[in-house]
Amino acid sequence: MDVLDPLLDPWRSGIGQRALAEAVLVAAICGALGFWVLSYELSYGAESLAHGLLPGLVLAALAGLPLLVGALGGVAAAAALVGLAARDERIDTDTATAVVVTGMLGLGALLALAPEAPPRLEELLFGNPLAATAGDLAAAAALVVVGGAALVALHRPLTAVALDPGGSSALGVRPTAVRLGLLLLLAAALAVAVEGLGNLLALAVLVAPAAAVQRHVRSPGRAIALAAAIAVAASIAGLYASHYLDIAAGAAIALALCATAALGSLMPRRAQRA
Amino acid sequence: MTAPLVEASGLAAGYGGPPAIRELDFAVEAGQSVAVLGPNGGGKTTLLRALLGELRPAAGSARVEGRPAYVAQSERTRLDFPVSALDVALMGTLAGGRWWLPARRSERAAAARALERVGLAAVAGTPFGELSGGQRQRVLLARALVQEARVLLLDEPLAGVDRPSAEAIESLLGDLRGEGRALLVSTHDVEGARGFDRVLCLNRRQVAYGPPADCLRRTVLEQTYGSEIVVLEEDGRSLRAVAVQHHDH
Amino acid sequence: MVNASLSGPSIQTIIVLIILATVPDPFDLWQLPFARTAMAELLLLSVAAGLLGAWVVLRRRAFFSHAVGAATFPGLVVAAATGFSAPLAALAVSLAYAAGVVALGRRRPGRRAGADRDHLATALLLVAALAAGVVLASDVFTSGAGVDRLLFGTLLGLDRGDLVLAAVAVALVATATLALGRTWAALGFDREGAGTLPLPAGLADGLLLALIAVVAVAALPAVGALLTTALLIVPAATVRLFAPSIKTLLIAAPLLAASESLAALYLALWLDAPPGPALATLSAAIYLTAALARALRSPRRPTRGPMFPARESPLFISPGAGNIGSPGGRGDT
Repeated sequence: MDVLDPLLDPWRSGIGQRALAEAVLVAAICGALGFWVLSYELSYGAESLAHGLLPGLVLAALAGLPLLVGALGGVAAAAALVGLAARDERIDTDTATAVVVTGMLGLGALLALAPEAPPRLEELLFGNPLAATAGDLAAAAALVVVGGAALVALHRPLTAVALDPGGSSALGVRPTAVRLGLLLLLAAALAVAVEGLGNLLALAVLVAPAAAVQRHVRSPGRAIALAAAIAVAASIAGLYASHYLDIAAGAAIALALCATAALGSLMPRRAQRA
Repeated sequence: MTAPLVEASGLAAGYGGPPAIRELDFAVEAGQSVAVLGPNGGGKTTLLRALLGELRPAAGSARVEGRPAYVAQSERTRLDFPVSALDVALMGTLAGGRWWLPARRSERAAAARALERVGLAAVAGTPFGELSGGQRQRVLLARALVQEARVLLLDEPLAGVDRPSAEAIESLLGDLRGEGRALLVSTHDVEGARGFDRVLCLNRRQVAYGPPADCLRRTVLEQTYGSEIVVLEEDGRSLRAVAVQHHDH
Repeated sequence: MVNASLSGPSIQTIIVLIILATVPDPFDLWQLPFARTAMAELLLLSVAAGLLGAWVVLRRRAFFSHAVGAATFPGLVVAAATGFSAPLAALAVSLAYAAGVVALGRRRPGRRAGADRDHLATALLLVAALAAGVVLASDVFTSGAGVDRLLFGTLLGLDRGDLVLAAVAVALVATATLALGRTWAALGFDREGAGTLPLPAGLADGLLLALIAVVAVAALPAVGALLTTALLIVPAATVRLFAPSIKTLLIAAPLLAASESLAALYLALWLDAPPGPALATLSAAIYLTAALARALRSPRRPTRGPMFPARESPLFISPGAGNIGSPGGRGDT
């Protein structure tokens, strides 16, 4: 049984178990959702939402509210502001988004760095999986159940609109409604993921696994399953690295996730059928 | 007499500014095929979208029996999305209703049959993006067939399509007319329009609607295409006209 | 009026007096030694970044300028650990990042559809850089304050070396604007049809990216790795909202940046916070106010083709979606 000890050591404590459970739950749903985030070219939007929700996190930390609440509020505010900023046709949307992200990051930092007892800004930026509470686990579990059900139900419309938005509307599928549903899922996923990974690194769990698999799969279903599996594996690997190398857990997970994307893009494409 | 499957009356539609098309007045019966001719920017796609219900008429009305099937230009689809030809054909069943459930076996069978009709049964499992342009067009047609719509709207189905696919498509269109469906096909092929029951000449407004013999005349074509048409010869009966082709992306 | 004077000063006067009593006197703040250095630094950076920012906005390099600043974070951590020169480390990392972006861009020349995929690669690179910096930082910094300073800048720690770097940046940007301005403008307007240019297009664009990297590095001590865009993008974008000529943009952007910097410095001194966040918040608020004013004043925009709206918005909820009639509706309309 000595062989198993190194494998089981990190999970002997309550903290370790909760960290593992949270990481696995978040990775599973975010890895799956990431396939659609990529297919709908939402990765830049996801990153802007993630960066832009910082003031929500800081305000929640200052007010003693759960971070999830702050994250949801922050996402809503960021989405609204990005929408407002992007309306003007004189400014391209990249620039407008960058303005909003800059402002929100600045506002969050201002709120966090000015007061006498600042909330631990690093934890908000880079996450802290080891601080997962029962409440966080409940939120993650809820996301997996609801988000998973939504992904299953929406699978065919999501596929149709991803392939051919124009033609799908003729089939009775409404691209706008499908995209809106996807955005809502994205917002919820980000709000849950920032607890463990922080708002600067949360993007990794959403897009890195999907980026790793994107050129290697033949169907959306397989892509989703594989991405989720890779996300979970990388998250567990990151937690192990954090435990044994004594490095920040959120950053370790993020690095492991980015590594999967790098590996996936370097591997040669599946041989094409004749 | 049964009502026409497609009917437009005083139709005008656009994207929010002045209407892109106006004064559309035509009716298409079951079993009729209509070739929609016109220059780029003349409103062919706008008309199809208006018939689909995607654009609210700015004036007049458009009526289509049931939900029409629509085959857009193939270039607009994503080629790197991991779906097979069969998967794409299967998307036609979304029109039927219960999109939140996975496809039933009968639906899969219908998709396979549709692929056979367009001659692509052999590549049912091939990724959509790996097919040739003509094959992709045929798969999109198969998707429209699965929908079992009485009205089919096709946007330049032969544009940039290889010879074998073009022949397969033309033959299929002939079969569809025989099944009592109504077809509206926008096209640049003025000569090919002769083979249709009716021709609708469109250049922001309806220039003409009627049998090919009435519409494919020098005066009508010049009004339709302006400077884009080159009329090669006109003898007693036939007119050879060449429309200058543009490929917009 | 007679009644009011009988009962004492008006309410408005009282409020103004209270406000004036609570906020610090600017002249008192000016006495603080570091304040003058910070002011000089911010003014120099405003000129460099405001001027270059005009080109960043015109040539649509916003995301790059954000990413190149943030990517320097691990380099800065290493520099702090080893005593190596921070600006040099940052410059090395940022130029390497710029080179990487150019290389990636060549592999996929100008395909609009690939835009998000390029964003994806650079976004993941950014996450990796930030995560790597965090991992290194836990060895280097005992408290969070060190990381905060690298990410958001400092009010107190600016020195002569930073001023020199900022001045050099001003000189470089001014020279480049004179030499390359017309080329950049021509490329921005119509890349393929630009005709013969004094420089090959790739080189001109590469120089632009390199210059953005240099200015970002110069801005790091004052505003931090995450907020270089507060100087580089936001003031120029605000001016751009009013669609001026390029010349006006080049003059107004640094001016706006400078005024915003002074106000932000005052705010930072008052709140005892770094100037970066103050400037970012202030400048973004001004931009959004201007954008809102424009949105309220101008008529509703004409919608683009509803079927294939430009896939430009990062959140892409097809603006003008309200015009798409529900395909479910049939019959006489």
